[in-house]
Amino acid sequence: MTTFDILAQQLVNGLVLGSFYALVALGYTMIFGVIKLLNFAHGDVYMIGGFVGFAVLSLVGGLVGTGWGGIALSMFVSMIAVGFLGVVIERIAYHPMLAAPRLSILITALAVSLVLQNSVLALTGGEFTAFRTNLGFGGIALGGVFITYNQMVLVGMAAILMLALETFVTRTQYGRAMRAVSIDKDMCRLMGIDVTKIIAVTFLIGSALAAAAGTMAGAYYGSIWYFMGFLIGLKAFTAAVIGGIGSIPGAMAGGLILGLLEAFGTQIPFIGSEWKDVFSFSILILVLVFKPTGLFGKSEVERM
Amino acid sequence: MEFRIARRRTLLALAAIGAGALAAPVIAQDGPITIGVQVPTTGPEATYGNDMLNAVKVAVEEINGDGGLLGRQVELAVGDSACDPQASVNAASKLASQEVDGVVGGYCSGATLPTLKVYGDANIPFVITASNSTKLIPANPGNAFMINSTGADQSTKVVDFLSGKGVETLAIVDQGDAYSQDLANLTAERWKEAGHEVVATETVNKGEQDYSALTTKIRSLNPDAVLWTAYYADGGLLIRQLRQSGYQGVIAVGDGSNSPKLFEIAGQAAEGVFGFSNPTAEFLPAAASFIESYKAANDNAPGPYAPLTYDGMKLLAWAIDKAGTTDHAAVIEALASADQAEWLSGPISFTDENTLARSNFIVLEGKDGAWTRAAE
Repeated sequence: MTTFDILAQQLVNGLVLGSFYALVALGYTMIFGVIKLLNFAHGDVYMIGGFVGFAVLSLVGGLVGTGWGGIALSMFVSMIAVGFLGVVIERIAYHPMLAAPRLSILITALAVSLVLQNSVLALTGGEFTAFRTNLGFGGIALGGVFITYNQMVLVGMAAILMLALETFVTRTQYGRAMRAVSIDKDMCRLMGIDVTKIIAVTFLIGSALAAAAGTMAGAYYGSIWYFMGFLIGLKAFTAAVIGGIGSIPGAMAGGLILGLLEAFGTQIPFIGSEWKDVFSFSILILVLVFKPTGLFGKSEVERM
Repeated sequence: MEFRIARRRTLLALAAIGAGALAAPVIAQDGPITIGVQVPTTGPEATYGNDMLNAVKVAVEEINGDGGLLGRQVELAVGDSACDPQASVNAASKLASQEVDGVVGGYCSGATLPTLKVYGDANIPFVITASNSTKLIPANPGNAFMINSTGADQSTKVVDFLSGKGVETLAIVDQGDAYSQDLANLTAERWKEAGHEVVATETVNKGEQDYSALTTKIRSLNPDAVLWTAYYADGGLLIRQLRQSGYQGVIAVGDGSNSPKLFEIAGQAAEGVFGFSNPTAEFLPAAASFIESYKAANDNAPGPYAPLTYDGMKLLAWAIDKAGTTDHAAVIEALASADQAEWLSGPISFTDENTLARSNFIVLEGKDGAWTRAAE
């Protein structure tokens, strides 16, 4: 492989990884936007999404097959189910805490994370579950660069979801209300906006996006387990901060940037891949030093 | 002062009594021979411990069925080490005070380590059948014999096997934990000593699902072989992604990855992957009748350390038979001279440090979604 091939291949790798980060980061950033909560349970919602998608695919796989069609269907079901799980989590765990000090709700989020993780741990016994699909390894070679069909579908699906979200937030009434709630909840109430409902919609969408990522990741990588949400939760949070937490375009960009940084960080000459996180997190520190609100964040104005 | 002298006298008196007690069983040689079994029969590792105990029972039944040892029946005394250093020292002290004629077992290395001194002080022959930390070696007073290969042995086996396959350049991937890094470092060292090249030593995070950046790097370096030294779950993902990226060289995995679950995760990609393993019963041709007797006596199949523990008991019996007495020093001398080749797990003979002279790691190969014994 020539140097150019290697870099181009890492670009592809970074895009795929970045798509996952971006989908999860979007939930972080939207929830932070409306209730100023760092939802540490979000990575575990992603994990639940993977398991629900797996369960659905196991049920319907015999009928519709376990190719991308079946995966898309189970992803859709998982998005709806986990979206409502997100609403339930908000209603049970976060809603009563909205008026409480910020620290209390943060600790509640950690508790929710532990509840979700340990429930799945208890159900699966901590074993890895193989996510069987009949996705092949096929793809196209452009020079020395190899792009699998799976990677193309994956990035394509992520792009469609993000476009849909962008349209929803900018073009619909609910989207407008969501942006308004992120600016000033009390004023929204005075203007007749049902803030409680808007918060629920935000959790629905954020959790659904994480579930989509979870199902796709399970199918693409081929295994799921109860702890799979931890690391990606951490990375997606980082991505949201790089992009500017509270900013939707920021989360998309942040996810892709972090994915690319990790891919290229692996390739730095003379040092091994164990330094890639040092590399990408150093960039995070630099971003925060020079632009504390993140790349797309604005300090005081609108945050959605 | 007065007090101290008094105490010294008491000690002398006790020592005299002790010596008398020790001398007694040497004269009376018609009772049963008692062998201590030190395994965790309770606690988190109890599954393995009970499995080892059952293997010992199979061996003892065979020995007693053949007329016993030196014309005497063999009896077992179980000491529960519970995989805990304190519990194991208590168990060992109890076995030593029962004046057992030898001890087999030892599962958790951390729990076996402090018992070496207990048995060493009483000079009781101790055959360690599972514990294999290299930390046990310097702590061995000379009466203990390790019949499980150590981590160092595995790296030797890896180097021998891959060299034999014509591999020149090697990339090693670990997971940053003590176990996988140890194996990676040892193997890298020996690989270079053998005159070959290590093109990359990489570390990945546990639980990170995407290894594509790493597989691209490996493909660009194009080593003859890739060695994964950590566990099956992430190993399965790595193997899958390596093959997906178009890497076509040899892939080998350490004993943390030889689980059948590797195939569920890696699927097709695990075909032809080489794995290294302790000698487990299913892959040992000599173990067929052992598996049968084991299954007849228990309602499960023998676990991973059962054949070695069976061997341990048989080896101790062989040594007592060879020494013609249960005198500890004579039995230890007999053990040190072991050179028979007909054990289940392969040949057993010892180095000056009482570790296996020849590694008993076996090589497996992925075929049709399962491990099979590879041609070596």
